Amino acid sequence: MIRVLNFFFVALTSLSILALYNVSERTRLADVNLARVNHQIAAEHSQISVLETEWEQVASPAKIAMLAETKLGLNNTATVQLSSLELLPRRGDDTAPLSPSPVRRASVQIPLQSGPLQQIAVHSGTE
Amino acid sequence: MNETATILQRRIVVGAAICVAAFALVTLKLVNATLFHDAARKSARGVLEYSRADLVDRNGELLARDIPVSDLYARPHAFWDKQEAARDLALATGADERRLLALFNGKHPYVLIAQKLTPDAQARAMHTQLPGLDFVPSVKRYYPDGRATAQVIGVTSRDKHGEDQGVSGLEGGLNARLLGGRAGEAVQLSLDMRVQYILAHEVETSREEFSAKQAGGVVLDVRTGEVLAMVSLPDFDPNSRMFGNGDTTHNVIGQDVYELGSVFKIFSFALAMEDHTTTPDEFFKIGNGYKIGKYTIHEAEHMPAMLAARDILALSSNIGTTQIALRSGPVRQEQFLDSLGLLHALHTELPEARRPHFPSHWGTIETATVSFGHGITVSPLAFAAAAAIVVNGGRRITPTFLKHPKDARGEQVIKPETSAKMRELLRYVVTNGTGKKADILGYDVGGKTGSAQKARQNGRGYEHKLVTSFCAAFPIDNPRYLVFVLLDEPHGTKATFGFALAGYTAAPLAGRVISRIAPILGVPQRMQAALPGWSHT
Repeated sequence: MIRVLNFFFVALTSLSILALYNVSERTRLADVNLARVNHQIAAEHSQISVLETEWEQVASPAKIAMLAETKLGLNNTATVQLSSLELLPRRGDDTAPLSPSPVRRASVQIPLQSGPLQQIAVHSGTE
Repeated sequence: MNETATILQRRIVVGAAICVAAFALVTLKLVNATLFHDAARKSARGVLEYSRADLVDRNGELLARDIPVSDLYARPHAFWDKQEAARDLALATGADERRLLALFNGKHPYVLIAQKLTPDAQARAMHTQLPGLDFVPSVKRYYPDGRATAQVIGVTSRDKHGEDQGVSGLEGGLNARLLGGRAGEAVQLSLDMRVQYILAHEVETSREEFSAKQAGGVVLDVRTGEVLAMVSLPDFDPNSRMFGNGDTTHNVIGQDVYELGSVFKIFSFALAMEDHTTTPDEFFKIGNGYKIGKYTIHEAEHMPAMLAARDILALSSNIGTTQIALRSGPVRQEQFLDSLGLLHALHTELPEARRPHFPSHWGTIETATVSFGHGITVSPLAFAAAAAIVVNGGRRITPTFLKHPKDARGEQVIKPETSAKMRELLRYVVTNGTGKKADILGYDVGGKTGSAQKARQNGRGYEHKLVTSFCAAFPIDNPRYLVFVLLDEPHGTKATFGFALAGYTAAPLAGRVISRIAPILGVPQRMQAALPGWSHT
């Protein structure tokens, strides 16, 4: 009985040692792998950081404006080129805008005499 | 039997102890793998983990970032041909070949080739396949927009502990926040790079056109106090740290103080409207000079004999403004300017703040000169903040460079009715007065010109040199943005008939800036489109 128990405990101990070694080795390998992955992540972070910075530089408004002017012949939009949707004419009817609301007059068309602010952006429909 | 039992018990205990020890060792190893997991990851991420936080604009566009770089060292004794090594490394890194050759022929066994090499320069150096090269990882603060943001963002400098510290601009003012921020967390500024670029481009164009010594501008949200753009020229390249001819870190908008001249009449009229000492339609006698004791106030340009108060502002009459200011008197004028924050240094996130200069004895003549912007010097940013109070409904704002999109208007400084009257008057200046060149089709701009003669260096009298400025708000019936531009010593051109006054130099500059930024900022347009086939008058 004692021998059986002895053998059992020795076997248990041996198995424990083997299991310990196995876990220890796997842990070490996992640790090495983890460090390698972390290093890769850090390297990727660095590269992304540099790429983002380079992108900001090449896509800066100054660069885009320069390229648009030299390569595409574009220029700054004048305010007279801008309009609102409600000012567009209805299909088949060139004489009326989409919106029935009165149209505001351009500020530069204001007569020279003075007047309160409410009269500055006058509605043509009320005049 | 007892003896057998004792041996058995001992063996059981020994076996159990070995099992416990094995278990403990396994547990410890697992703990090692999990508990120190973060530390291992942190150390693996390298130098970027400990760098300064990014600076981004209000739309998340990158303005400043630490990028990984390397310092390159070499062991000269490892080179077969030192001359060839010096030439190759000079080509790869941009270092001076003669300096490198002198280093290689020197006594030192380990020499510095170049600092803060970017990854591509590092790749070029490695491509030389020279032995004995050593790359030491480091970080470099990089500014993708270069000169466009240099004056406002500022720069960093390495301290004795090898850590970058902000030394100017927002890098200096937000230093603690940039160093103490969590990894990967950016500090978001109020600046809008689109507006910043437009302002920089237009200010540069005007500076060249009028051959101005210095120039600058600022765009301010009058409700939140956010600074959307700030430009000061001349500037510098924050990435090279090598100053070219005329480059400076001096910020004319935040750091300098100026006698701003007639643009100060905004406050004289705001005071008059607040205290009801005059009305826009009251007429004043102008004449050829206004005597106060031994001094005579003159006009910069010829004026009619009589002018209504609104035309005094529109045509920028010094004599008329003096008469209006004298009705309030020195005590009230000083108290009013103080309430607008013009008699104290303006504190923002920018570390550079200058105290204003104003009369120590505020008498009658001082009241007169201050009313048209002479005898008092303030920073353009402080002026813009005070002007914002006048147009935003009369409530105090403090300029900020941090994103803060909520309405930040504080205490009521002037009555809302006064603010409304001033907006009307400022619109009148643009439609009928000296600010006509700032009138932009579709956007109701209100503003005031300022052309101040520069004081002599010795403090006695004035030179024939001007500082011209224009302060504009739009849309003027309910302003959201304020644009202030300044040209230091502009010169007239053929196109301006030789005039260098603000109406010819600063006003058109402000108009161009507004015409370009207003659509970007989503300011609704108020114009009738010139559609074919129908007209509306």
